[in-house]
Amino acid sequence: MTIKVDRVKEYEALLDIYEREGLDKSLFGDRVAAIIISGDRIIGLNNVPGVEIKGEEIENGVRADVRIADGVELPFPIHLCTGYLKGEGYQRVEFNITVGRNSRVKFTSHCIFPYAEDFTHEAISRITVGENSSVIYDDEHVHGEGVRMISRTEVEVKAGGRYTGKFTLTRHRARELKLEMTAKLAERAVAELTSKVKAVKDDSVEIREVLLLEGAHSRGDLKSTVIAFDNSKVNVVNEAYGLGDYAKGHIECHEVVKEKADVQTVPLLRVKNDKAELTHEASIGRINEAQLVQLMAKGLTEEEAAELIIKGLLGE
Amino acid sequence: MLCLRNVGYVKNGRKILHGVNMTFREGMSYSILGPNGAGKSTIAKILIGELKPTSGGVLLDGRDITGLGVTERARLGISMAWQEPARYEGIRIREYLTLGGKLKAEEDEIREALELVGLPYELYAGRMIDKTLSGGERKRIELASLLLLKPRYAILDEPDSGLDITAGELIEELLGRFRRAGTTVILITHHEEIAGKTDFAYFVCAGRLVKKGFSREVVDYYRKTCGRCLFVEGSP
Repeated sequence: MTIKVDRVKEYEALLDIYEREGLDKSLFGDRVAAIIISGDRIIGLNNVPGVEIKGEEIENGVRADVRIADGVELPFPIHLCTGYLKGEGYQRVEFNITVGRNSRVKFTSHCIFPYAEDFTHEAISRITVGENSSVIYDDEHVHGEGVRMISRTEVEVKAGGRYTGKFTLTRHRARELKLEMTAKLAERAVAELTSKVKAVKDDSVEIREVLLLEGAHSRGDLKSTVIAFDNSKVNVVNEAYGLGDYAKGHIECHEVVKEKADVQTVPLLRVKNDKAELTHEASIGRINEAQLVQLMAKGLTEEEAAELIIKGLLGE
Repeated sequence: MLCLRNVGYVKNGRKILHGVNMTFREGMSYSILGPNGAGKSTIAKILIGELKPTSGGVLLDGRDITGLGVTERARLGISMAWQEPARYEGIRIREYLTLGGKLKAEEDEIREALELVGLPYELYAGRMIDKTLSGGERKRIELASLLLLKPRYAILDEPDSGLDITAGELIEELLGRFRRAGTTVILITHHEEIAGKTDFAYFVCAGRLVKKGFSREVVDYYRKTCGRCLFVEGSP
């Protein structure tokens, strides 16, 4: 990996944080395609055959174009690391990702803002998944207490392509989170968008996931799981539009509430093609009573049982 | 020894149980047999502390445990495998069986428990207890969890429901295993052939105890009456 000489300290600081948080440090290896951003600078960049990453430093952030050629299958994920190591400020990152035909790639995206006290992070991603390609995009976060996060992802999945997007913010908090994910699917394309968020204290969380099932036989799943504690406020909107012949979509939202948290979920299903089929399931409330009592009957206290159930829900 | 003493239970003004007395001795196996709606599952829930009786009490080794909750009773050795085991998003079977690591169990013990209930360890230990599992598979996991837990009293609520035709053999195998471990089994069922596999049986109907004794005798009586309710609420 090419590391800019005057940025070695920041690079090493990020590595230390990976170590401390139990994240995979091997993602910084030479065989992994990667872009490492700190603040408004690119501090590391690595390309591997079939992957071309070009970065550009912009005002308050970085813009990156990631191009995957046709027929590429990578043994390692592509690493997108966005760090901000100061307490205050604003950062904007833009990723334009284009995956060619018949490729299979995975992205591991890490947002590392461990010292944030009053910090705004804005991430805009546009992802195109080529015909018959498969893309997995995992988004994980390490935050300090004072992060305001705005994340917008637009995905276009071409015919026969598959996109799996996972957003996880469970070990750390964003005081304010606005998460928007839209997937537009062509014929026989598939998308699965999953978000798992834990809101605590006075966090405010807004999640909007949109599934546009435009192609015939396209399929999509939206799944949101939110655990809301304390005085947090959560609003989840899941939208699915059945437009193509035999398109199938399912949206699922589960929210567990404790203490004085204020939670709402709005499922929106709209069909403009009588051959399309959309379904949804949603639940808001305390932890399922049957789950609790069945674990308690094996000797766990109510708190221990709740902790195990929540850990499972959040995939921790 | 675990006892129900003159236990009554009223819900929404309706009497579900009418002064039921039952005794479960160490190391023996019992059935609570009766038709649907007889009050069998209510008895099970009172035994584990999920429901509190509106009259009477529950005694363990002579100590009144009526006021104890589910966790406390489980820690005294009274546990249950549910008729409809819950699903848990994101929890693997191994994690469920060991209660998230709270129950210390060797990997070999987990393997043995799973394989005894007919679930190959390699296929199941790492799987999630979510909606990808059938009701029968979850039932078998529930039974495996009690094998690992080794309680003093194992209540099996309708253990054969949702299982295939091998259910009878599985229950015989489980009864043998629990007996060898010194666990008292209390089996809730409306199938007389399943009830016939235990040492003793209680026949309950419309919330009343109709007959008790060796399971063969009770099952014969149950067959003769075709499991019909002999008591109708409001009858003399």
